[in-house]
Amino acid sequence: MSERKKRFRYRRWRYFFLSAAFLLILVTPILNLYFHFTFVQGWYQSLGIGRLWIVSPLEGLESLLISKYIYLPSLIGMLIPVIVALYLGRVFCSWVCPISFLHETLDRIRRRIFRYNPVTWKDRLVLSLRVLWVALIGEFLLSMILGFPIFVFVSPPGLVGRELMLGIIFHTFALEGFIILVILLLHLVTRRFYCRYLCPLGGLLAFLGQKRRLKVRLKSKKCSGCGICEKVCPLGLPVNRGGSYSPYCWNCGECVDYCPTGALKFYWKRPYYLKPTSEETPKARSGNPLPDE
Amino acid sequence: MDRRLFLKLLAGGLLVSCAPGELASSPIKTNVLRPPGAIPEDFFASRCIRCGRCAESCSYRSIKILDLRHGFYAGTPVIYVERIPCYLCMRCVKVCPTGTLQKVSQKEVRMGLARVNRRLCVTWKGEGICRSCYNACPFREQAIKLDRLRPVVVPEVCVGCGLCTYACPVTPKAIVIEPVYAFKASK
Repeated sequence: MSERKKRFRYRRWRYFFLSAAFLLILVTPILNLYFHFTFVQGWYQSLGIGRLWIVSPLEGLESLLISKYIYLPSLIGMLIPVIVALYLGRVFCSWVCPISFLHETLDRIRRRIFRYNPVTWKDRLVLSLRVLWVALIGEFLLSMILGFPIFVFVSPPGLVGRELMLGIIFHTFALEGFIILVILLLHLVTRRFYCRYLCPLGGLLAFLGQKRRLKVRLKSKKCSGCGICEKVCPLGLPVNRGGSYSPYCWNCGECVDYCPTGALKFYWKRPYYLKPTSEETPKARSGNPLPDE
Repeated sequence: MDRRLFLKLLAGGLLVSCAPGELASSPIKTNVLRPPGAIPEDFFASRCIRCGRCAESCSYRSIKILDLRHGFYAGTPVIYVERIPCYLCMRCVKVCPTGTLQKVSQKEVRMGLARVNRRLCVTWKGEGICRSCYNACPFREQAIKLDRLRPVVVPEVCVGCGLCTYACPVTPKAIVIEPVYAFKASK
């Protein structure tokens, strides 16, 4: 009944989340500067909400590896993003990251003006998804060889945040802002080119989220093999051939939205010690497994 | 192909980074200082995660963030004391998530050391009586003392905040901050 009228779309919620996350890092410097409201500070490299500090795992790990110095607040700050990545996978990339917001906004503008349609869109330059690992390891190695962290130039969430902060507080933009433009231009060639192949933070989160709980499940009984999911996946994953189980999947729910037969659904993989013996107990929550009705 | 491209990029990056030595040389020099509580310059750039929260929390906008022109030091905070000195509000040290700015009290700050150029200073030249630096110093009568009305810096107390440099009316400045502690020989 309600399915007819208004199907639940993850896309809308995701854009809402992305906008809220972008607004947070846009409003925070204004609040800090003009209203001296310092409860929330920073952006997605290091976010301080009161006494709760969140440090981006890539930056924290790189700083730790290069300076070989363990600083406890930094480690504790990395805990929350790491736990989120372990359980939910790369959700930061698709639901929070400010560069993702810019990508989505660009897509919406393209849809309005140029009649852009993700189903018919063809990516021009397609590489192997494993390039992501090369980028991650290469980034770490290069910074360790040089002795200077290079995430400053290659981690887009930090770049966007820094540009916003500089723009608001100092009324100037740093030169590295052109990297954001390059990333957005690459998006016009291949959807999410940077996120797919080059983002070291995405690589790290993908690595952490290999055994994530939240996954998109493909029910092969319902699947008609139309291949729309593969076309709309922003990462170009072969969803109908198990791409959503790969570490690269960032749980954006785009394929779930587009699937015409409802074969794709988010599901929460319970840990093995809570798994009931019978296969079909869809609504049994964790805790007591309810022997029989 | 991907690997080749990547290796090319890697080699290119290395070349670009190594060719001008400017990129890897520290921006810290006279009157260009790190914020309070900064660890020595040898480790600063590697431990700082460039989150910019020190700059965001700085109420006087003393802390500036370097950009791409400073190579690998891009994103790190500096204070140009000639433009806006540090007023020692000690907010930045409280928000640093990596310990790059260590939690120190006002008196323990060692951003640099003030140095009086006696050939430029009006009072030292005997051309007049100026006590701008003495009046501006937050540790009056401790960090800058007057020796027969001529300013003398006490290195044990001076924190290098740069208020004296900012107040100095002479151009070029007769009192400058030298970042002597930033380059202290590390063990």
